[in-house]
Amino acid sequence: MSSSSKRHSILPPVSAGPRPPVQFSSPLTIAESAVLTGSHTISISSESVIHPRARLDSLGGRITIGRRCIVHERSTVGAIGTEGPAKGADKAEGVTLGDYVTVEVAAAIEAGGTLIGEGTTVGVSVKVGAGAVVGRYCTLTPHTVVVAGEVIPDFTVIYSNGMRRTDRRGVTELRNKGQTRQIEVLRRMIPTNPAKFQT
Amino acid sequence: MSRRPPRGEYIETDTGNKVARKATLVGTQNIMLGGKTVIQQEVMIRGDLARSVQSSSSGGTPASNTAVAIGRYCFLSRGCCLRPPGRLYKGSFTYMPLRINDHVFVGPGSVIQAASIGSHVHIGAKVVIGEFAIIKDYVRILDGSVVPANMVIPSFSIVAGQPARVIGEVPEGGHETFELRDLYKTVGNNLPPAPS
Repeated sequence: MSSSSKRHSILPPVSAGPRPPVQFSSPLTIAESAVLTGSHTISISSESVIHPRARLDSLGGRITIGRRCIVHERSTVGAIGTEGPAKGADKAEGVTLGDYVTVEVAAAIEAGGTLIGEGTTVGVSVKVGAGAVVGRYCTLTPHTVVVAGEVIPDFTVIYSNGMRRTDRRGVTELRNKGQTRQIEVLRRMIPTNPAKFQT
Repeated sequence: MSRRPPRGEYIETDTGNKVARKATLVGTQNIMLGGKTVIQQEVMIRGDLARSVQSSSSGGTPASNTAVAIGRYCFLSRGCCLRPPGRLYKGSFTYMPLRINDHVFVGPGSVIQAASIGSHVHIGAKVVIGEFAIIKDYVRILDGSVVPANMVIPSFSIVAGQPARVIGEVPEGGHETFELRDLYKTVGNNLPPAPS
């Protein structure tokens, strides 16, 4: 061990997997401690924010993240599920997030043709199974489990261990506006380093 | 044969905080620890999400940028996550500080986005506390609860469910179980041998 005064981290090296090809559009905020791994392309559209320690894993297929998305810390996008990809799903497509999607802390979205529609909030510790199709402007409250291959219509709220109702408030415009404001603030707070992931 | 003494699992500060080396503290300049607080492995505290809009009432005083303030004898179990809540305030988005008082236990895998947590609060495992929830003193939150955003939990309540509801009261004399001084002594680098 070197006796230099520099303090070495005992954390395991972050680059645990292969470096995936990436497609970034600027402006983009991606924290240096985010983890991008896998073999398929990860493309992130402009003005999206990836928090520190978020994990994007493209081993199970391509990951596409739309405009103005927020992926919070400790969430996993493109996890390889236990059941494998859903039948009939396009295997090359891992996870697609529409525009204005929020993926909260510790949520896991499995790969295998999974689609999250525009403006949907994936809550804290939610599990979205492989091949599930979540509609636009849905709200998945914390600890919700969406099983593999499930199709959830637009404006659905899933709460309280699987109860469902339809969101009729019509606040999509306001929601998008709030998300835009939040991204403006986050962009100033999170030091971004997209060059680290681009080879 | 190592010349240096083996490095402990925890970093112990002068004020008695025990912080695991494997904890992720982001934005440490905005995190205040009151002393004698235990932070276990894989805990994540987001101190970088500091307040960006100052309230106009603060006047000329220099702005304190504390994002997460934690009192004495708190115990943050493995894998929990503390992050300040954020909302739109006067037309612009800002994060607000997260304040935690003394003797607060946070169970493993919990995610805390409360505005304030009182003293002697016990939060179980895999609990989610929504943004701007206010938890008063002597509250017990059972495992797997989901406390909705903006909920205010009165003192001496027992809370559970998804979404969380008050399901009972802490019985008389039951508040002694909230003391965390003994738990504090059970972690650290140079532990006394267990009494046999």
